[in-house]
Amino acid sequence: MIASYALSGFANFSSIAIQIGGISGIAPTRRHDLAKLAANKLPHYRRAVGVVFQDFKLLADRNVTENVALPLQVRGASLGDIAKAVKQSLEVVGLTERASLFPAQLSGGELQRVVMARAIVGQPRLILADEPTGNLDPKTARSIVKLLHAIHKELKTTVVMATHNADIVDSLGLRVISLDRGKVVKDSPKGKYE
Amino acid sequence: MSSAYMQAQQRMRRTPYQTLVALVVTTLAFFVAIVFFLDAAAAHKILRYFETRPQVNAFYQQDVVPKPQEVDLLRTKLEGTGLVESFKYVSKEEALQIYKDLNKSDPLLLEAVTANMLPASVEVSAKDPQDLKGLADILKGETGIEDVRFAEEVVQSLLSWTRSVRTSRVVLAATQMFIAFIIILSVIGSKITSRREEISLLQLIGATEGYISAPFVVEGTLYGALGSLMAWGMSYLVILYSTPFFAGFISEIPGLYPSVVFMLKVLGGSMGLGALVGALGGLLAVRRYLKS
Repeated sequence: MIASYALSGFANFSSIAIQIGGISGIAPTRRHDLAKLAANKLPHYRRAVGVVFQDFKLLADRNVTENVALPLQVRGASLGDIAKAVKQSLEVVGLTERASLFPAQLSGGELQRVVMARAIVGQPRLILADEPTGNLDPKTARSIVKLLHAIHKELKTTVVMATHNADIVDSLGLRVISLDRGKVVKDSPKGKYE
Repeated sequence: MSSAYMQAQQRMRRTPYQTLVALVVTTLAFFVAIVFFLDAAAAHKILRYFETRPQVNAFYQQDVVPKPQEVDLLRTKLEGTGLVESFKYVSKEEALQIYKDLNKSDPLLLEAVTANMLPASVEVSAKDPQDLKGLADILKGETGIEDVRFAEEVVQSLLSWTRSVRTSRVVLAATQMFIAFIIILSVIGSKITSRREEISLLQLIGATEGYISAPFVVEGTLYGALGSLMAWGMSYLVILYSTPFFAGFISEIPGLYPSVVFMLKVLGGSMGLGALVGALGGLLAVRRYLKS
């Protein structure tokens, strides 16, 4: 698992997305120049990456199960496979009991867990978490980071978390990549927020 | 496709008021289109009826009474052209009867007239009134025929009038179908606008353009098919209720009222066309959004 933060106001998450092909150990499949990737190839590339959005990006008119199922639906998976994978993902994030609820009925922490379930349901090789704790209280934020760590350990998936939360970065003791104006300026195996 | 259908159905079910408005608007558009179409079909029947009324009258010389074989020969010759709708021989006696019927209120006119004074004749109507002139020319060349008459100017005026009536009905029905297409385009367009975030998310998680477009195309197809189904039901009700009203003054035209079989054909055609228009509207709306 990698924590990343930006030194300047440059959009941290965009920087990571741009740098994916160039940072060792992160590329989900093989090196891609996203700017040169054909438009019809882009969807397949995106399927290899699970994204945890800061603003959740959950569909309000779909319940938890339907939201989590989306990445598999766009791949044309069978209903049986989707049901099985969604069930497993919800178990990982601890939301089995809330499967039939709609986003408006969930707390901020639960919403972020749904997003994480959606990010892992397609078994991506890379998970990008864009400030997953940005809209959460400290206690919930810690539980979300703990969950991301667990996902990394259990599913053997590379997790890149973009964050400005110094406490979280310092407490993890993991690889830290620092960005400045979209460029990697530091890559420490066990770094701190500087 | 079944996944797209389920998604479209789910979206329609979860936005019931939007769906209701879309269905009402498309139903009204298709209703007007079907009414124009049925009106065009009725106008066609009426025009066909009037078009077959004009006929050529060929009068034999007064002293000629054609033998039945001669009449049959003439009938065979004319029918051989493939242009004849009907052929009728009117003998001198029948001519007298017609004369009597026409002048029964004036006994003075009846007294002096006998069958021998009236010529035998043939009445020929054409499948297409434009061919009346050709038939008249054939009849003019027949031996024993003295005079051939048909109202050439009236026929030309009628043809010109019926042509413009037919064209106007076809243009009106086509215009209404285009309006239905524009309505579905804007209905799906507004649905796409309300689902911008969803489309954006689907793109982010790797959905192809086809996957994103399919539910909107299916939704447009459903609006088109359901709208035309309801419009067909409404138009059939209008026909059933208006039949007694029209029966009074246009009852002489045969087959004017649409049969059940004809209406079922209209149902099939309108649902097919409605589905096609809806699918095209949905496809165009979503493609336009994705390209922008």
